[in-house]
Amino acid sequence: MTSFRVRRPGARIDFEKPLSFSFDGQPYSGFAGDTLASALLANDVRMLARSFKYGRPRGIVGSGPEEPNALMQIEAGAHTIPNLKATQVELYDGLIARRTTGYPTLEFDLKSIGGLFSRFMPAGFYYKTFQNQKLWPKFEHIIRQAAGYGSAPAEPDPETYDHSHRHTQVLVVGGGASGLLAALAAGRAGLKVVVVDEQKECGGWLLSSPHSIIGGKTADAWLKAVLGELQSMPNVEVLTRTSAFALHNMNLVLAVEQLQDHLPLGARSAHRPRQRLHRIRAENVVLATGAIERPLVFGNNDLPGIMTASALTTYLNRYGVAAGKRVLLHTSNDHVYQGACDLVRAGCEVVLADARARVNPAWEKRARAAGVDLRLGYGIAYARGGRAVSGAQLVKLDAERNAVTGKGPSIDCDALGSSGGLSPTVHLYCHDGGRPHWDDEKLAFVVPATGRAKSRIYCVGAVTGEFGLQQALEQTQRTIGDLLASLGKPAGTTSATDVHTDEPASVPPRRIFRIPDGMREGHGKKAFVDFQNDVSAADIHLAVRENYRSIEHIKRYTALGFGTDQGKLSNVNGFAIAADARGISIPEVGTTTYRPAYSPVTFGTLAGLHADETFEPRRYSAMHACHVARGAEFEPVGQWLRPWYFPLPGEDMHAAVRRECLAARRGVGIMDASTLGKIDLRGKDVREFLGRVYANDWAKLAPGKCRYGLMLDENGMVMDDGVTACITDDHFVMTTTTGGAARVFSWLEKWHQTEWPDLDVYMTSVTDHWATAAIVGPKSRQTLAKVCSDIDLSPSAFKFMDWRDGTVAGVPARVFRISFSGELAFEVNVDANYGHHVWEALMDAGREFGITPYGTETMHVLRAEKGFIIVGQDTDGSMTPLDLDMAWAVSMKKPFSFIGKRSFARSDTAGPNRKQLVGLLTEDPEIVLAEGAQIIERTDIAPPVPMLGHVTSSYYSPELDRSIALAVVRDGINRRSDEGRKTGRDVLYAHAGGKAHKVRLVSPVFIDPKGERQNV
Amino acid sequence: MSEPVMRSPLHSFGLASQAKPIDGSSGVWANEIPHIGYISLRGDGRDQAFVSAASKALGIPLPIEPCTLATSESVKVLWLSPDEWMIVSAPGQANALCSRLELALAGVRNQVVDNSGGYTQIFLGGTHALDVLRHVSVYDFESLQPGRVAGTTLGKSSVYAFRQGNGYRLIVRRSFADYIWRYLVRAANPYGLGIADVPVDNLVGTSTASVNVAAG
Amino acid sequence: MFVFFCPHCGENREEEEFGYGGEAFIPRPATPETLNDDAWGDYLFMRKNPKGWHWEMWSHNTGCRKFFVVKRNTATNAIAGSWTLSDGRKAYDAEGGAT
Ligand SMILES: [Zn+2]
Repeated sequence: MTSFRVRRPGARIDFEKPLSFSFDGQPYSGFAGDTLASALLANDVRMLARSFKYGRPRGIVGSGPEEPNALMQIEAGAHTIPNLKATQVELYDGLIARRTTGYPTLEFDLKSIGGLFSRFMPAGFYYKTFQNQKLWPKFEHIIRQAAGYGSAPAEPDPETYDHSHRHTQVLVVGGGASGLLAALAAGRAGLKVVVVDEQKECGGWLLSSPHSIIGGKTADAWLKAVLGELQSMPNVEVLTRTSAFALHNMNLVLAVEQLQDHLPLGARSAHRPRQRLHRIRAENVVLATGAIERPLVFGNNDLPGIMTASALTTYLNRYGVAAGKRVLLHTSNDHVYQGACDLVRAGCEVVLADARARVNPAWEKRARAAGVDLRLGYGIAYARGGRAVSGAQLVKLDAERNAVTGKGPSIDCDALGSSGGLSPTVHLYCHDGGRPHWDDEKLAFVVPATGRAKSRIYCVGAVTGEFGLQQALEQTQRTIGDLLASLGKPAGTTSATDVHTDEPASVPPRRIFRIPDGMREGHGKKAFVDFQNDVSAADIHLAVRENYRSIEHIKRYTALGFGTDQGKLSNVNGFAIAADARGISIPEVGTTTYRPAYSPVTFGTLAGLHADETFEPRRYSAMHACHVARGAEFEPVGQWLRPWYFPLPGEDMHAAVRRECLAARRGVGIMDASTLGKIDLRGKDVREFLGRVYANDWAKLAPGKCRYGLMLDENGMVMDDGVTACITDDHFVMTTTTGGAARVFSWLEKWHQTEWPDLDVYMTSVTDHWATAAIVGPKSRQTLAKVCSDIDLSPSAFKFMDWRDGTVAGVPARVFRISFSGELAFEVNVDANYGHHVWEALMDAGREFGITPYGTETMHVLRAEKGFIIVGQDTDGSMTPLDLDMAWAVSMKKPFSFIGKRSFARSDTAGPNRKQLVGLLTEDPEIVLAEGAQIIERTDIAPPVPMLGHVTSSYYSPELDRSIALAVVRDGINRRSDEGRKTGRDVLYAHAGGKAHKVRLVSPVFIDPKGERQNV
Repeated sequence: MSEPVMRSPLHSFGLASQAKPIDGSSGVWANEIPHIGYISLRGDGRDQAFVSAASKALGIPLPIEPCTLATSESVKVLWLSPDEWMIVSAPGQANALCSRLELALAGVRNQVVDNSGGYTQIFLGGTHALDVLRHVSVYDFESLQPGRVAGTTLGKSSVYAFRQGNGYRLIVRRSFADYIWRYLVRAANPYGLGIADVPVDNLVGTSTASVNVAAG
Repeated sequence: MFVFFCPHCGENREEEEFGYGGEAFIPRPATPETLNDDAWGDYLFMRKNPKGWHWEMWSHNTGCRKFFVVKRNTATNAIAGSWTLSDGRKAYDAEGGAT
């Protein structure tokens, strides 16, 4: 037993509340307030992981989001979450954790055998080995399994997530001393303030240092007072367990709040989301993101029991766990001294090796007085140990150069903490294009103390390089004073004495990152820079030797900073070692790019409520309940859910569609056409406007009449189609395709607003106002007549392509005599609130004629039998009206050069051999071709076979009792002409699924070519 | 033949039968307010002839200040754009109002469209109404003042929203109503959702235009 | 994500309410038939695509449904301002139609 529990005053552990949990199947116990990491440490569980490449034993290194090793699989089944950092998992009763690395077991890892792999796995190993792409698939499975990391749940996520859109005047990121002081000042000034902090409680480093004195109070008391005041302000909101992970332009900060992860599964509420994504738009962002201590790089620095010094201190003071009885600390700076004293007071023997020959006299005095065994001017050449650290070999360092001048003592220890200095958490500042700069005195990439005032991003505390508590608080006061002044608010709500601390003023750290061991790099013990990816100092030297120069390249070659910790511990050390290897300075090396997310975010959180039944809007017509009651099968059409077909008991789709088609052709069918887009246009220039946006002419369309139109884009390609009715000379109603409704409406508005604002036209979407039932078939007139007495439905009074206002089933209705099936048909439009009523009334009226509801599938068959196109199915944005053989729908005589007209004359559009719409008949009438089947000329040519076109629509026609298809084929119209038939050019092959079927090109109109049926 | 019966977009949820007076038992209260009249009015807000003719027909000055609304005993007029308004009227009044507007606006560039079937209205109230709106919309609802209207995004759909009486009103498109209702129900899950009795006299006009909105 | 000031609504609104409308001030040629294929092709396809300040249109889709003009820096995402189409044209011309 090396680590042990200590009852430290101020610790955040409730020893009255024991909790049980398991790790890798073994039961353990901890206390309320523990993280999984602190509890494992208290149970003396040292080895928690195996390293990625070499399978080396690894333990806890950090105490927060920087942890590279202790990645856990939490819980099982649907609730399981992979790769959580044990340092961030709050312990709860019954928690189940498993390792994510170590193959086949943690104790015995294949990769570690005799360092077998290490000799053969230098930097760039995977690139070099698997340059031959054929090898990778063979080895990928084994390598990935051996590499480890957790598994995603295989079951659907039972938990929910949501988003919260917030708007605030001031957002403070980070609830440490500086962040809280900033929030206090902004709150007192009356500003709307939101504070986010990723931990379960605010305090930041103060929680690890509860005995520091601020303004005459202990840190603990100071925290209580400040948080109490913040809580009393209605304009301030403090969100804990909320990690800001991205800062986007215009100060949009994304933060994820953990609402239930800290609770036992059984205690989680079904009414609360597991996590919430806050999208916070802040007029002012205050970054108080602090700093993370980086370790020193020395031989075997990855042995379990070796941590950052701040983690050692945090486990002691915050979680009441001493990581060892005999502790060796190694530092290049002042930050470890308080922790060293605290460890001695907790009963540990502490040796502190400071790389500096001369240190801060104030700290030296305090440390010696406390009983710390201080060794000045020493470095650790390498650590000793097997499964855990057992000691270290010191070397005497030159006072100036980073070189060994002599041997040092060998120290026994069971815990080792090192500090190479602090690395400010600059990530958020850099997400929006900001760059940190190297401060050669503080040995850190810092953000400017002034932040980016122009973007209203302010930076306070350690993130600016102010690592001393008092200096940090003073800098915070100044910066928030500037912020408040810029808003015309009085500054100075906190005074200088409020931030006075008992901390000695710090002295500069020593510029040392890699502790020399007296050997050439690569010849001594492995010294790790990035633990998660097993990147050693030697690997970086190798990359430089292999001529990698840019740090972005070195990073990718070695995988430095690629893990889930995103280089929080390793980046600066890596840059410094690269700088030394290249003989240049750290600023010349530069930094890599910081991108969101700062820490991993679950997919569920990103999706929020855009999941399951509210993943996408599902739009319904007013008649939807009628279709449900009749057992319809539905299909999504864009966002709409439309009836697909209406099977009777025992019918499959084929049988149902056959019955529906024949009913529409021979009796009467009824279809819900409500989803078509409808636009009401009003103004004396509507005719002119229609003439500009449609290919055909509208000058002479009389009130009471309708006309089909093709809408083109400026390239001359068909983008939409539909029927437009002339209500009066200055009032028209346009229909669009279901899928094109929103696009067309916006398209028309754009032309009107940007090009032709002088045209007297107003447009309003009435898509949702009208519910539309199409009654189709020879008996549709008789059906309608039963529920409509005020419209003369006789063929002479109400002609094909006419519309009439009247009353249907007691409801005001607009009836169009138009047809998408080629049959006699009427489309009845009513206020959608009456849609259900009118559908049912029409069903009642048609009962004696066998009225048959039909869905989109039958609609498609009926229209394909007539050769009517579906824009987007038979066209693909490269089809002109002429390609569709629809010259009749284009008026080249209109005085205004309508949209798309000029493009007809472009060389390619006007050229020969374009793909054109044709009908296809298979030689075997039972074969229904696959849509998308390629059209080829012969089957006996070697690839590549020239593709002449493809099948766009294909169905079995019950009316013809054979298959039919539409296709676009090069020079198709000539091929299917009499001339083409004579020369046999009309016979081709449709190829799909490895089979070629002989087809004949014909007119796309398979039924009633003269159009007599719709005119009866 | 059966008598014509109207069915509102949220009919299938059977909300009317679940409604009860608002009390403290739920943090969020909502319901559909069905069958209100909606008229889309287009015209140039800078054209004095249009504004005065429309104002006369409506009985209240047409709001020309962006994002505001005007309310009388019988109608509520929402500014939607410099040339577009939505007129919310009592059930059954839309038709007559359309005729009155068309008559008054004869000779002036305009468009009057009865869109009553195209929209429905959702009442949203309770102590956590604002929290729900934060979940579903990017708009800063905290800053939405009485007398103002916001056209904005709701989930992956759109909404016209304003404050009325003891809550918010959301005017949504008919075909999206089902989606939006389900979305609101899911967003309200943490707070408990009650189906509210919305007083009949609180449907459209000023008669209950108190502006006490519980702010979360 | 941007915040745009809608010159019609007079409010700052989140990007989710808007749709991109392409480069601003590309007038449709008055007589397309008189243009040769190159000139017509320029109108159809050629865009400035600058690194730097760009005059572009956005549409307030879920708000007032109006197109308006934004001057945005494509390199920094800074926004210099937003205007109605006609006011934007004046501001653009005042810069000499500069990119
Ligand atoms: Zn707007």
